[in-house]
Amino acid sequence: MKKAVTVAKWEFLEKVKSKAFIISLFVTPAIIIAFSVLPTILATKESDSTKAIGILDLTKEYFSDLKNEIEVYKLNNNLPAYAILNNYKPDLSTDSLIKSADAMVIDNKLDGYLLIQKENNDSLKVEFRSKSIGNFQDVARFEEAFNNLRIKRKLLSENIDPKIIEVIKQRTNVNQIKIEKPGEEGKGGFEMVFFSSIIFILLLMMMIIYSGQMLVRSMLEEKSNRLIEILISSCTPQDLLFGKVLGLSTLGLTQVVVWLLIGFSLIGAAIVPITSFDNIHLILLYFILGFIFYTTLFVGIGSVASTEQEAQQITSYLSLLLVLPSVFIISTLQNPDSSLVKILSYIPFTLPSVMILRVNVSPIPLWEILVTMLIMLLSILIVMKISSKIFRFGILYYGKMPSLNEIKVWLKE
Amino acid sequence: MLEVKNLIKTFGQVKAVDNLTFSVKPGKIFGMLGPNGAGKTTTIRTILNIIKPNAGEVLLNQKPVTQDLFNSIGYLPEERGLYKKSKVADVITYLAHLKGMNSSQIKTETDKWLKKLEIPHYKDRKVEELSKGNQQKIQFITAVIHNPELLIFDEPFSGFDPINQQLIKDVILDLLDNGKIIILSTHQMDTAEKLCNEILLINEGKEVLSGSLSDIKQKFGGNHIKFAYEGEIKFLNEMDEVLSFEIYSNEAEVHLKNDVKPEIFLRKIIDKVTIKQFSIIEPTLNKIFIDSIKNKN
Repeated sequence: MKKAVTVAKWEFLEKVKSKAFIISLFVTPAIIIAFSVLPTILATKESDSTKAIGILDLTKEYFSDLKNEIEVYKLNNNLPAYAILNNYKPDLSTDSLIKSADAMVIDNKLDGYLLIQKENNDSLKVEFRSKSIGNFQDVARFEEAFNNLRIKRKLLSENIDPKIIEVIKQRTNVNQIKIEKPGEEGKGGFEMVFFSSIIFILLLMMMIIYSGQMLVRSMLEEKSNRLIEILISSCTPQDLLFGKVLGLSTLGLTQVVVWLLIGFSLIGAAIVPITSFDNIHLILLYFILGFIFYTTLFVGIGSVASTEQEAQQITSYLSLLLVLPSVFIISTLQNPDSSLVKILSYIPFTLPSVMILRVNVSPIPLWEILVTMLIMLLSILIVMKISSKIFRFGILYYGKMPSLNEIKVWLKE
Repeated sequence: MLEVKNLIKTFGQVKAVDNLTFSVKPGKIFGMLGPNGAGKTTTIRTILNIIKPNAGEVLLNQKPVTQDLFNSIGYLPEERGLYKKSKVADVITYLAHLKGMNSSQIKTETDKWLKKLEIPHYKDRKVEELSKGNQQKIQFITAVIHNPELLIFDEPFSGFDPINQQLIKDVILDLLDNGKIIILSTHQMDTAEKLCNEILLINEGKEVLSGSLSDIKQKFGGNHIKFAYEGEIKFLNEMDEVLSFEIYSNEAEVHLKNDVKPEIFLRKIIDKVTIKQFSIIEPTLNKIFIDSIKNKN
């Protein structure tokens, strides 16, 4: 055990001192922020200047009313959000009208234009044509404006009381409120929960993959220069395996602490919502358990590699196993009580990621938390045992990768 | 004393170590010799408890070699390598810690050994910045720094220039004077001949020859001569008097039939080739090695 600590200390210090680690310490959160925070900020941020929008109404029925509907929208400084231009000219053909409107967009005279035309079967077709697609907010507004207009006209033509029309036009939004305890409302909607869960799962995955690769590579070095023979004539393979896992977990923890500090400072800067850290104690526990579980697996299975390519193969297969549950992220969020999600939260491979998600989405009964933690601890013990058996043979194994049958024999000894 | 009794290790169908029994006494260097793939490294790994034998036992001073004895064993593997990106002092410290030394012991011993091997100025350099020979010296230090009872050197001289070979030889002889048990595994027969008192020659996992060097030479015995020459000596093949021979650049070592007198043999060959020197000798270890392995096959 004392020797395991010696190994852990060495693994930790050697890696903490490496340039690669120091870079990853700061680059990883930067990448995650770039990929998860910025798009959210950019997507929800309102534009601060009036956009020039054209309307090409080939039906000649909607222009002026639609203009009024759209001009309702204001910017924060009370200027109109959209300046409307009529693209229709009576003498020109449909094709040349569309072409000249397109040209205005390409030349940046317009941010985009709405094309309204009748199709063959007399139904309406509306397009928003612009250089970039993806401006959801604008399109949603145009859609609402146009539909409002149509409903209003239809109702008027049926001689409905204008008061009723007003009632119909009013929309009711359903707000999502998360309940944590009776009478206690959680803050944050879907995006917030999604964002704060995904960031931890991303961190977990990136860290495991990164440290797993580092671990397998360093083991490969020890194997190829036969240092491993000196090591296991100095301590038992179990000590060595345990030391490596311990050292790497400490390294991982250091990383998480640094990242948390970065996270807290971002709260200060109001970039990250404080609610992301509501369930931090549970999330951290699952995080650490998941990390140890996968690290142990990486050490055991990685020990059979004797070339760089094999190491690459093994780490990518294991990483795939790790990333797989992220397929279920959306469905977990949408339906945290589905039986699929329940099953996934009892399988050790998917348990940590799924539980990190569930903890954020809905309150989880204490017994379930205890059971999942117990499953994780037991799985770690089992994986330790299996890994140390494979490890014992794997580290002295050179040449082609061992077959499953060979590994079976190792496990029996 | 190290005792190895009826050691057997198989890999699938292959018997890598086949019922080996030998003992190594302190104060004498024990040479473990054998051709490539003879089972030397497997034997060493089994002694070190790196791999478990199928049968047999290994006792160091009457105690079985388990993790409790790891701190009393030093090992220099044949293939060398250290953590390349790390500092010399850090690597030595780590490996010495693993052998149970404490930090203050490690500090004094590291300085002592670096000085002894004439590389004190590399202490704070990275391993990869050192020449191959100097890296090997560092590895040598990690094998001996914890003052172990049993030392196993696998090809300790390979990769060293003659001056450093001499340096390492002197260090090993020093260790011997301190009563260490030393096993030397090598292909270099001349080194083994000069250093080892006891020999174990193995092939295909089995013992071929064992005993003290002088006993082995006597037992192998026979009628050996060596001559230096100029010219062509292929005719040795056709001579009835010759049992076998080895040719070294311009010398030949010949095993004659027992009833052939060396002077008669000399008379026979003197017309065919220019003889510059002629002597009656004990067989060299090299000759014994080659003959024994060839006969077995």
